[in-house]
Amino acid sequence: MRFSRIQALIYKEWREILRDRLYSLMTFGVPAITLIVLGYGISTDVERIPFAVLDGDQSTLSREYLHRFMDSRYFDFQGEATDTRVLDTLLADSRIRFALIIPPQFQRDLLAGRSVAVQSLIDGIFPYRAQVNKGYVSAINAHFSTWLLENYLMERGFSQAAARRTIQPVRLEIRALYNQAVRSRWSMGSGLIMLVLMFSPPFLTALGIVREKENGSIYNIYASPVSSGEFLLGKLLPYVFLSSINVFLLWALATGLFGTPFKGNPWFFLGASFLFVTCTTGIGLLISLLARTQAAAAILAMVLTFIPAILYSGLLVPVESMDAATRSQAQLFPGVYYLQIVWGSFLKGLGWSVLWDKVALLGIYALIVWTLGLHSFHKRPKR
Amino acid sequence: MIAAGLRWLDRLIAMTGKEFKQLFRDPILLAVLFYFFSADIYLAANGIHMDLRQASLMVLDRDQSATSRELIQRFRMPYFDLRGELFDAHQAQTLLDRGEVLAVLSIPPQFQRDLQAGLPVAVQFRVDASNAILGTLAISYAEEILARFSQEQALERLGGGIQLQAVPRIEDLHRVYYNPNQNNPWFMSISELLTITTMLSLMLPAAAAVREKERGTIEQLVVTPLSPLQILLPKILSMGIVIVSGVAASLFLVIEPAFQLPIRGSLSLFFLVTALYVFATAGLGLFIASLSRTFGQVVMLVILLMMPLLLLSGAWTPPEAMPDFLRHAMIFSPLAHYIELAYGILLKGAGLAVLWDSLLGLALLGSLLFSFGLWHFRRQFD
Repeated sequence: MRFSRIQALIYKEWREILRDRLYSLMTFGVPAITLIVLGYGISTDVERIPFAVLDGDQSTLSREYLHRFMDSRYFDFQGEATDTRVLDTLLADSRIRFALIIPPQFQRDLLAGRSVAVQSLIDGIFPYRAQVNKGYVSAINAHFSTWLLENYLMERGFSQAAARRTIQPVRLEIRALYNQAVRSRWSMGSGLIMLVLMFSPPFLTALGIVREKENGSIYNIYASPVSSGEFLLGKLLPYVFLSSINVFLLWALATGLFGTPFKGNPWFFLGASFLFVTCTTGIGLLISLLARTQAAAAILAMVLTFIPAILYSGLLVPVESMDAATRSQAQLFPGVYYLQIVWGSFLKGLGWSVLWDKVALLGIYALIVWTLGLHSFHKRPKR
Repeated sequence: MIAAGLRWLDRLIAMTGKEFKQLFRDPILLAVLFYFFSADIYLAANGIHMDLRQASLMVLDRDQSATSRELIQRFRMPYFDLRGELFDAHQAQTLLDRGEVLAVLSIPPQFQRDLQAGLPVAVQFRVDASNAILGTLAISYAEEILARFSQEQALERLGGGIQLQAVPRIEDLHRVYYNPNQNNPWFMSISELLTITTMLSLMLPAAAAVREKERGTIEQLVVTPLSPLQILLPKILSMGIVIVSGVAASLFLVIEPAFQLPIRGSLSLFFLVTALYVFATAGLGLFIASLSRTFGQVVMLVILLMMPLLLLSGAWTPPEAMPDFLRHAMIFSPLAHYIELAYGILLKGAGLAVLWDSLLGLALLGSLLFSFGLWHFRRQFD
C-alpha cells in the first residue's frame, strides 16, 4: 500500500465531488435541510387533537365540563354535533379524532349525587395517538370528578382543605428528567443527527463506487497498478471526511436552531460521531459490493440504512417496546448505539465513563464492516 | 387513423417490454423489491409497538408497609417491568443516567401512617424523558394507576358504605373505533406499505429515465420514430405495474393472513387510488430526473423530497401537533391524501361519499405533477 497513490485517488474523488455542483451542494445541503425541516416538523407530541361534542344536556354544568377540554392545549374544539351519526361521519372523514358524548340529565344526576357515564369515541387508526388521547380524557375526567366531589363534601360540612385531602389522598409528583417539558423538539432536534448520519454517508459512498462500475470507468482502476485496498481507501476517506464536517454542521444546527442543550463533552461526542460515520461509510462500501447498478445501490441503501434509522433506532419507535426478536434485529444496526450516545451527550450530560460500551460496539462494528468490505472487493471480478 | 393508433400502441407496448426486460436483468434490485413487499413489511409490523411495554421500573420504598407494597404491585406487566428495589436516591440517579431504568418510583417514609391519619402524601415518579415518546407514555400510565389508587383510598376513607355510583363523579367510557384493541400491526403494516410505495414510485421511474441520459442511450432513442411520450410513458407504466402488483401481493399474501387485517372498504377503490398515487409520485420522479444529469443527483433530490414527505405526512407521527404552516403545506403532499384514503378505505371502510375530497386532492395533484414532470422531461428532447 502506497500513500502517494491513495493521495492521488483522494484528490481525484475530491475533484469529482466538487465538479458536480448539484452533487456537492447536496452533500451538505441534504443533511442540513433534512435536519431543519424534520426538526421543525416532526413532533411525536399528541396535541391539538381535533374533537367534537354532542352535548345532550346543554346545561351550565355540561358547559363547564366541556370547557375543560376546550381550554386544554391537547384538544382543538371543532364544533358541536346534534346527532351521533354526524360524529361517526366526522370520525370517518378524519375531521375529528375524538368525540365526546355528554348524556342528557348530566347536570341533574351529578347535582343529585349520582355518577354519570360520559362516552368518548376515539379514532384508533394510530394506536399511539389513541392511547395518549385516552390518557388525557381520563385525566380531565378525574380532575372534574375531584372538583365535583370537593363541592359535594363541602356542602356536607367539610372545609375545602379537608375535602381535598379526603378526595385525593395521594398525589403523584412527576419529575421528567433531562427533558423537563417532555417535548419531542429536544429529542428530535438531537436524535435526527443520528438519522442524517445513518443514511447520508452510505448513499454517497455506495453511489460513488457503483457509478464507476456502471459507467465502466472502474476498468481504469482494474488495469492500473493501484491495489484494491488503495482504491477503497482513496474512495472512502473523502466521504468519511465530508461526513465529519457534516457532524459539526448538524451539531451547530441542533444547538443553535432548536435550542437543544448540549450537556456532555464535545470531544467525546465528536470522537464517537466520527466512529459512527466510519461505520455507516463502511455500510455504504458493503452496499457497493452487492449492487451493480446505481438504482439497485440506492434501493439497497434504503433497506439497510433509511428504514432501520426510522424503524429500528429508537427515534420514533421505542426499542424497549419491541418484541425480543425485533429488538435483536434492531441491534444489528449501529443507529441504536449512536442514538444513546447522542441523547446521552446532549440531554443527559454523560461521557466516556457511562457510554464507553456503546462506543466500543461502534468501534467493533466499524472494524467488521471495513474488514469485510476490503476483503470482498476484488480487482478481478468473477464475471 | 386506427392503424396509426395501433402503431402508436404497438410501440408503447414494445418499449414497456424493454423496460421490463431491463428491470428483470437486475437481480439485486429484484431481490430488494421482493424483500420490501414481504419480509420488510412483516418485520416492521410484527415486532414494533408504539405503546408502553415492559418499561423498566425500580422502586425506592422508604416505607416498606402493606399499603406501599400494594401501590407498587399496581405497576405491573405488560406495561411496567418491576426490576427490583433500590435503597438510596443516589443509586437511582445513576441508573437513570445510564439509561438502565426508564423510571424510578419513590415512596416516602411513613406513607401508610400519613395516609391513615388523613395527611396529604406525595409519591415521586422520576422518569427519563430524553425519549419523549417513552416519557409521555410512562407518565400517562403512572398517572392513571395513581389516580385509581388514590380514588380507592379516598372511598375507603369516606367509609365502607359508599358506592362508586352514589357519589357525583364522571365515569370514563371509552370506545376506540376502527381498531378497538389498538392492534399495532394494523397500523404499522399499512404505514410501512405506504412508505415503501412512496420510495419506490419516486425512485424507480426516475432511475429508469436518468439512466438513459447518463449512458447516452437517450440520443439513440431520440433519433427513432418514437415520440417523447412513447419513451417516457413505458418507464412509468412498467414501474407502476410492478409497484401496484407488489402492493397487492403484500396486502393479500402478507398483511391480511399474518395480521388478520380486516379490509372493510372497497378493494377496487383502494387499487384505483394506489395506481393514481403511484402515477402522481412517478411524475414527481420524472421532474427530478429532468433536473439531474447523473443518478447521484437524482438520489440526492429524491431523499431531499422524500424525507419530509414520509415523515411529515402523518404516516409515522400524529400530524396535528406540527407547526401550522407545515400542517397546511401538507395539502401539497400527495402522500397526505393517500394516507387518508388508504386508512379510510382499508380500516374505516369509508367510501367515496366521505373520501371524495381526498380523492379529488390526489387526482388534481397527481395530474398536475404528472403532466409537469412529463412536460419538463420532454423539453430536453428539443
